[in-house]
Amino acid sequence: MNTASDVAEDVLVECQSVWKIFGKNADTAMRAYKERGLSKKQILQDHGCVVGVSNVSLKVRRGEIYCIMGLSGSGKSTLIRMFNRLIDPTSGQILIKGKDIASLDAAALRETRARHIGMVFQSVALLPHRTVLENAAFGLEVRGISKAERHKVAEQALAKVGLSDWAARYPDELSGGMQQRVGLARAITSDPEVILMDEPFSALDPLIRRQLQDEFRQLTKSLGKSAVFITHDLEEAIRIGDRIAIMKDGVIIQEGSAEDIVLKPADDYVAEFVAGISRLHLVKAHSIMSPLAAHPGLDASRLPSAGPQADLDALINLMIGSGGDALAVVENGQVLGVITQQDLLRGVQGAPALEQPAPQAEHAL
Amino acid sequence: MSPVEFAAAFDEFVDARLEWLSDNGAWFFDGLNDVLHAGYQAIYNGLTWLPFWAVILAFGLLGWRLTASWRFALGTMLGLVLCVAMGLWPQTMSTLALVLSATSMALIIGIPLGVAAGLMPSLDRVSEPVLDLIQTLPPYIYLLPAIALLGYGPGTALVATFIVAVPPVVRLTSLGIRMTPKVFIELGQATGTTGWQQFFKIRLPFALPSIMAGVNQGLMMAFGMVVIAGIVGSGGLGEVIYGAIRTLDIAMSINAAIAIVILTLILDRMAQSATRLGRRAVHESR
Repeated sequence: MNTASDVAEDVLVECQSVWKIFGKNADTAMRAYKERGLSKKQILQDHGCVVGVSNVSLKVRRGEIYCIMGLSGSGKSTLIRMFNRLIDPTSGQILIKGKDIASLDAAALRETRARHIGMVFQSVALLPHRTVLENAAFGLEVRGISKAERHKVAEQALAKVGLSDWAARYPDELSGGMQQRVGLARAITSDPEVILMDEPFSALDPLIRRQLQDEFRQLTKSLGKSAVFITHDLEEAIRIGDRIAIMKDGVIIQEGSAEDIVLKPADDYVAEFVAGISRLHLVKAHSIMSPLAAHPGLDASRLPSAGPQADLDALINLMIGSGGDALAVVENGQVLGVITQQDLLRGVQGAPALEQPAPQAEHAL
Repeated sequence: MSPVEFAAAFDEFVDARLEWLSDNGAWFFDGLNDVLHAGYQAIYNGLTWLPFWAVILAFGLLGWRLTASWRFALGTMLGLVLCVAMGLWPQTMSTLALVLSATSMALIIGIPLGVAAGLMPSLDRVSEPVLDLIQTLPPYIYLLPAIALLGYGPGTALVATFIVAVPPVVRLTSLGIRMTPKVFIELGQATGTTGWQQFFKIRLPFALPSIMAGVNQGLMMAFGMVVIAGIVGSGGLGEVIYGAIRTLDIAMSINAAIAIVILTLILDRMAQSATRLGRRAVHESR
């Protein structure tokens, strides 16, 4: 195990130009695309096939939470189902821990699913005729682990999601948020390296959702798991994800950290999503500061100082607390730049001081 | 060829086939009749070997165990005592034996068939129209060919009852198996279940209510048919009613009808309660 994690790029899930085309003539349609480069519209017209996922490549590394954000019909659910081969890709490869999942025989595929990839569903899918404990232990039961042992492990998992007292209850006695916690406990009971989360919190009300988002992130990080997290909510992706991929019409149109996506949306579609997102915890000092030279009247050594990674929220607090109207950005004793009130306001607005977006974005519409 | 001629030719064809079947298949049908008769006789002998009060007590206890309602248990016993009081005890037990043996046959054959049809849509496409045909034909139809092949007696009644009881069992089993919500199928796959695990741990528990509804329906169909089968010498309450109709003995026909209603109500309630218990049992045994 150690040798594997010593490798600098410890990739658990890798997609190599994966396609999924739905329909009877999917293979002909795929060939037509490869040979003649048909568009999706043409594929639908000529072959009656729908392109679900189109040429997606991505890598999920150990310990990383990878969010795939897209609206309904964007292909995100199809994509995540190819990671554990609930759906077979039409073309392209999916590697789980370096092994092509399409090459596995039935037994090896079961083994991979049982040990390495957990899954949590939007509708939770708790078996209604089993208690919470039995549901949580389901994965181990399938693997033939003895009752005493699997119940012990399941109890530990339930404790981690704060449901120890509910082990003997039936799913219909639990609230939606609690049910989804059981779903999560079921996934971690099998101790997989990757957990696939298929819009797990979408059906919950906002307060519970935020709470579960934070708990999920904390739990995943403390257990050192990786997760692929599907959501239609960019805010959720930002709260949870280490990296975010934005999907539209089966294509990943942008991939990056939350800050990348909010500050440098790849196109108008992403920009539109980003518009409503609060930047307070996303935008960092280094991206809104202006060079010291631009403000000849300021003496940086007398200004309150902040690190380049301080977020807007902290900067605002600092500025209000000091009563002044400028801050110095300092790293290792060196002044990198200053932030004035204007810079700060621009940052909140979403227009970095140095990278004013050209107004062409509006013309394009 | 005029319609009359056609009809005559067709009838002759059917008669000839049936005759051929009863001549050449005698060994099979005689054997079948013996087996059916033996099964029925074993249950009947068991029920009548015991004194009637022991059977009534056993029913009361069973009813109480299944429904957990002492009122139902008491009602069961009173109802059966009424059957004794009307002088219809042996006939009631005979009808019960017929219904139980026909229904068990229907379950032994119908449930596996229904499971197969539920898992294989191609089989379902074949079985559906056949079941439709069986259910649309008037049940009397099954008596005549059965009598030609198996002769007068409980064997014929059993086969006809079996034919009528089997369609709901197959249909509702198949429906139950097909109805497993898609996300639970995905759950099974994503957890790494084998085919058998998928069936026993996921599909079957979801299908069980529907399967038990099929068992219940089969039982009720069997009750309906077993009375009609009185015509072919089934014995039991059906034959009592048939005899009463022929002699216009209204009082006797009503007595027998009451006995049938009592028996039907008891078995229906018990089967329904067994459904609930069965659901729990499946989940606990896994």
